[in-house]
Amino acid sequence: MDSKHSSPATISDHQPSTIERLVAFLDERVGLKEMQAKMLNEPLPGGSRWAYVFGSILLFIFAMQALTGTLLMFYYVPTADHAWASTQYIIHDVDYGWFLLGYHFWGSSAMVVCVIAHMSQVFLWGAYKKPRELLWIVGLALFGVVITFGFTGYLLPWDQRAFWATTVGVEILDKTPVIGDFIARFLKGGPTPGQMTLSRFFVLHVMVLPAALMALAGLHLFLFRVAAPAGPFTGTVEELKAKTDYFFPRQIWKDMVGMAFVFVSICALALWEPVVLLDEAAPDPGDYHPEPEWYFLFYFQLLRLKLFAGEFGQFMGAVALPVAFMVLLVALPFIDKDPERNIFKRPIALISWIAIMVFILLFTVASVINREFLD
Amino acid sequence: MLQPKLKSKVQCTDLNIGEVTKVVLDPLSHEISHIVVSVNGSGERQVAMGHVQVVTDDLVQLRAPSTEILALPPFKREDYVTTHEVEISHLEDHIHVTPGEVLVPLPDLEKSVKRRTFFMNFTTVIGFLIGLPIAYPILRFLMKPMYADFDNEWLKVGNVSKIKQVDVGVQFKYKKKVKEAYMPEAEVDKNVWVLQATPELLGKVYQGKDAEFRDARGKTIWTNKKDVPYLAFSGKCPHLGCAFKWRQHKALGQVFLCPCHLSIYDAAGKVLDGPAPRALDALPVRVSAGGEVEVIDMEFKAGTKSQIRII
Repeated sequence: MDSKHSSPATISDHQPSTIERLVAFLDERVGLKEMQAKMLNEPLPGGSRWAYVFGSILLFIFAMQALTGTLLMFYYVPTADHAWASTQYIIHDVDYGWFLLGYHFWGSSAMVVCVIAHMSQVFLWGAYKKPRELLWIVGLALFGVVITFGFTGYLLPWDQRAFWATTVGVEILDKTPVIGDFIARFLKGGPTPGQMTLSRFFVLHVMVLPAALMALAGLHLFLFRVAAPAGPFTGTVEELKAKTDYFFPRQIWKDMVGMAFVFVSICALALWEPVVLLDEAAPDPGDYHPEPEWYFLFYFQLLRLKLFAGEFGQFMGAVALPVAFMVLLVALPFIDKDPERNIFKRPIALISWIAIMVFILLFTVASVINREFLD
Repeated sequence: MLQPKLKSKVQCTDLNIGEVTKVVLDPLSHEISHIVVSVNGSGERQVAMGHVQVVTDDLVQLRAPSTEILALPPFKREDYVTTHEVEISHLEDHIHVTPGEVLVPLPDLEKSVKRRTFFMNFTTVIGFLIGLPIAYPILRFLMKPMYADFDNEWLKVGNVSKIKQVDVGVQFKYKKKVKEAYMPEAEVDKNVWVLQATPELLGKVYQGKDAEFRDARGKTIWTNKKDVPYLAFSGKCPHLGCAFKWRQHKALGQVFLCPCHLSIYDAAGKVLDGPAPRALDALPVRVSAGGEVEVIDMEFKAGTKSQIRII
């Protein structure tokens, strides 16, 4: 591990073991030790922090989603006549199928939570500012990919919840001017949700989005390494230098503890809140009140406001508002050119962040309260 | 001022004390902060650039006497990594030294090797704590459809009136109902080879003993009596699972011939030629008074000397 051993001057008198010889063989040809040293010896200005764990945790969650998702595909079939039955088979018949499906399901929630935490950290630390504008924008693209992952994956079990969340979600996209109808038909593979929709969502979920996420995450990491970590938003150059630490070991150790915590939490949720399917999807909802996944509830509630009634109101709520918000986030590093990173000296940024979080919280709670009036 | 070059001679105010062996970069300013001088015969010293008065093509002139340089503590190589081992972007952009050891100091927090090993081990332990608990569930998850119970139902495959000659293989096609996991019940086409056997052929097959079929616990499922003149062979070649045929052979006469790897069996199922490791698999067979042939649909692992039932 210790990088000084890569110096050829070190002569040891003990016989190298088979593993050591194998490592040496590979190292000579691939440059493993140098590569490992380069990956681990990345200076973190001001040292390691718990606040920096979210990026690594997201990578871990993605790896686990890829693993559990691949396993689910061993039994799942994306056909309208058997998607539901094959999901039920995974839940009720395959050993530990309920657990792996539950892990995948709760893993998606964990992904959204950690993406929000990661973005908040970067925002509050002012780490999106020059020279990290591209890093921030690629991160926003990754945020979009994660949300699309959640949206497309939601349809796959093909139960009533899945069917109606997709129906409503696609109707929202349909409100986009000029191209809305095309986008909606493109996603549905026709005028209404059916087999073509399931196939398209499946391909997006298991092929297109994973490829996009891997490419963007790779670019994100590359840009991160080029720009170097931003470090804390206070402290003089000398103070930072004194506390500076490499990525390994302390930051990796914090990341690992964070990953273990997330892993245990997702396992606990999978155990105590297992996935239960509703009836098989049908264009008649029966007694079911359609509702999206919890992390979309605030937006769902927002669209209930009188403000967004009528065709123009719908356009404002379904298209203009989210698009304007995303455009604002993309433009943020170019609008906010003040090099000051200390969040306590950036009142507008701090108040905006608090306002958004309070808004999301209030609207989520409101939509839960609203459930009572429906039954 | 030129940047100090590796191998340059180092001249103090009084005498020449050695040569530059390494340069040290400041990770923040990306400038050369020190040179490492190999002092003739007494180790290495780390000399700050502040001591350097002038740098020419192959000489570094210091503004200190040799005694002052020699009084510096010895250079500690373990407190540094090379620029190849650290990820600081644009680090070497302004450095023009001959390739060699260009060093970056380790952060103060990183100078204890023991703690690095401790953290490495701890990281590995946490990795195992995440990996091990899911390894078993994943294995069981994937194993679900691999070992199914055997089905010993009798299936009607046709009527003996189809057989026109004794000791000749006749293919009987039949349908088998299959229910896989969540898929609806389906029918698949299968075939079995049935022979009406002469006593000589029966003698060759049974060699005086009834053939018993037992389940995994040793309980008898069915016994093919040695004097019942009907034989049924599974349609699957015991070599590598191809479908064999009843064919006329130039030298061997009428035989079962597998087109895949040319295994050849006689009417009793015995291997005459080719790579097959065992005789054809005889199946439990019974014939009703009306001549309806029924078999228990069994399949055996291909390529093994002994019969290992898989279906």
